Amino acid sequence: MDDVMSRDLISDLPQSIIESILTRLPIRDAVRTSILSSKWRYKWTTLTQLVFDEKCVILSNDRCKVEDGLVNFITRTLFLHQGPIHKFQLTTTHLQCCPDIDQWLLFLSRNDIKELVLELGEGEWFRVPSCLFNCKKLTRLDLFRCEFDPPPSFKGFLCLKSLNLHQVLVSPEAIESLISGCPLLESLALSYFDSLALTIRAPNLKFLCLEGEFKDICLENTPLLVAMSVAMYMTDDIAEHFEQSSTCNFNRFLGGVPRLERLIGHIYFTKFLSIGDDLGRLPITYAHLKVVELNQVSFEDMKEILVVLHLITNSPNLRELQISGSSNTLAAIDAPDLDFWDDECPSNCTFKQLRVVRMTDMSGVPHEMEFIKFLLANSPALETMSISPCVYVMDGRLNMLIELLRFRRASAQAEILFIQD
Amino acid sequence: MSEVDMAVIKPEMMKSYIWLQTADGSIQQVEQEVAMFCPMICHEVIQKGMGSSKNYAISLPQRVNPAMLSLILDYCRFHQVPGRSNKERKSFDEKFIRMDTKRLCELTSAADSLQLKPLVDLTSRALARIIEGKSPEEIREIFHLPDDLTEEEKLEPLKNTTDDPRIRLLNRLYAKKRKELKERQKLKNIEVEEERVDDRSVDDLLSFINGDNGDSKGIKNSKSKKKNRRRKDQQKNTSANEAIKNHNKEPNGLNQVCRSAEVGQKVRAGVGATSNLHDVGDDIFDNKNELDDVDIDDEIDPALKEKIDREVEDFARRLNSDWPERMQEILSFGHERKPVHFSLNGNGSLRRYANSEQR
Repeated sequence: MDDVMSRDLISDLPQSIIESILTRLPIRDAVRTSILSSKWRYKWTTLTQLVFDEKCVILSNDRCKVEDGLVNFITRTLFLHQGPIHKFQLTTTHLQCCPDIDQWLLFLSRNDIKELVLELGEGEWFRVPSCLFNCKKLTRLDLFRCEFDPPPSFKGFLCLKSLNLHQVLVSPEAIESLISGCPLLESLALSYFDSLALTIRAPNLKFLCLEGEFKDICLENTPLLVAMSVAMYMTDDIAEHFEQSSTCNFNRFLGGVPRLERLIGHIYFTKFLSIGDDLGRLPITYAHLKVVELNQVSFEDMKEILVVLHLITNSPNLRELQISGSSNTLAAIDAPDLDFWDDECPSNCTFKQLRVVRMTDMSGVPHEMEFIKFLLANSPALETMSISPCVYVMDGRLNMLIELLRFRRASAQAEILFIQD
Repeated sequence: MSEVDMAVIKPEMMKSYIWLQTADGSIQQVEQEVAMFCPMICHEVIQKGMGSSKNYAISLPQRVNPAMLSLILDYCRFHQVPGRSNKERKSFDEKFIRMDTKRLCELTSAADSLQLKPLVDLTSRALARIIEGKSPEEIREIFHLPDDLTEEEKLEPLKNTTDDPRIRLLNRLYAKKRKELKERQKLKNIEVEEERVDDRSVDDLLSFINGDNGDSKGIKNSKSKKKNRRRKDQQKNTSANEAIKNHNKEPNGLNQVCRSAEVGQKVRAGVGATSNLHDVGDDIFDNKNELDDVDIDDEIDPALKEKIDREVEDFARRLNSDWPERMQEILSFGHERKPVHFSLNGNGSLRRYANSEQR
């Protein structure tokens, strides 16, 4: 039996600590603390971060019941809440287009909301109400599966630092003006857009993440960009559109990012960059670029190889390089332009800082091997070169190994790892 | 040799120490780099120049007792070393916070007073892990929290939830019950007075003057009527008491809903009661319809009473069932309880006030 004199251990801690504890609980448990004792009755009501998900309600097979339960829970929590709400996050697959969400957003817009994350379910997409555009203090906005239609009078979120739109229906002009209208924007993520042609003007932008079918992207004013990750899906008409375009994509995309430190490209990114006029002399050097990852580079397309070379030869401080190939092995034996490597390739470039190279999905096509040879010969500080053959290549592996053995290495301590599965 | 001499001879061998004094008066010296890991101590040293000697020891806040201080210094000693990997730090942290809950709470408090945020975060996380997923009884036991919310406060959402028709019915039934009880009380009081008044009523005087004909019958009738009424009232009272006793049996103490509602609203109910009395008094003297209503209620009451009892038992059973599910359903708590007044209109119908302003 507990001694009667045992003192309350926790209720008299400062409110900041109590909030620190309650914030780390799931919202359901935090609200339940109101029943513990008279001192705890309203301790949870001043939490400034409210994170709701499906764990707030009892799971059951009845979808309606879960939806209603979730809506009720959120409505009542908001109703009982006191004080400002700085963060509101809702992640659910059950709610889509629901009038209660409009009311919650209205309530939040009157309570100094700063971070809003709305991840809704598949189905009919929720149309964001106009009260969202009145949230002047918004610093972070994440929307999943919504319709976003700013009113004409909307100029932008002046405090917004992070914007993440995933599967959001919005017109391209609206996006462009939204991005330009958020002068403090540092992080931008756009995913699953269809045929979007975009010009990005964001003087403070540091992090960029793009994924989708982009017709055209131009980074017009992003001098502070530090890291970018781009996945370009390409349909046939986009590819056609590209063929006809004459502007140099490489310059349009990477021409204005001198502070870039990390570059990650997926799917057709290298192809996208390769389109356009001759690269010529690139005016800028990527003095800070340390990590480059390019996926699905086709080593049968000379233009793509040129893009890669162009990039890495203008990055004197490159430390880590990862390239995955996507070559069609059947056509590869007879490769054109192989003499490029002996004749035209810049021979006096040295990758002084390059330490780690990872080549994945290698099919053993001639250009791939020449590229590896080029890297090995010009990387005096190399520590690891790991090569993983493509899973479809079974017979060619021995040939790859034989060739690898012959290559000269500039770095005495370089290890070559041939990774099989 | 004094410390100063030693310092002159081999300065690089001397570590510098900071002097700290805890609330109980004991003073100790701690390696400088360890102590300076705490922002509060850092501030004292840099801004105020304290801690350099025993006489100028830094007074630590009251929440930092020697045991807590030694724990905190262990933490600082480990983490202030720059070369440790994240993995090492995490694994140290995990081992470090393995202690009983009482010390964990004291440590949180002490770390907060020294402004050592990483340690506050660590202990908050640990306390949150302790609270997560437990029932309120378990949490109260762990942290020695008093169970001082009344049943009504715990169940309060019921009164405010008007969605469920059963809850609405019950609220209404309780209200009616309360009203009836109040009325009977007042009737009893007024009747007692009325008896005396009737003894000297005009009828009596007239009969005395006119002789005992039909009037006496009338008087008798009225007297017996009153007697019957009184008996009926008593019956009603006892039945009401029984009903209340039945309620008492239910562990949730639904009667407390009535009682504490009345008690809680004493101040305002007092105001309401006087006006109620006034109204009721007026009604009775004005017309007898009110009493007739009460009589009619008497007839219905036993049947209704049973229904009420059944509903109440049902309801209590529901409440006693799985606690977490229950809380899920009724997870709304009113801000403040608005006192609900019941008073009678001129025609005897029930009128309900949400707050006194609507008067």
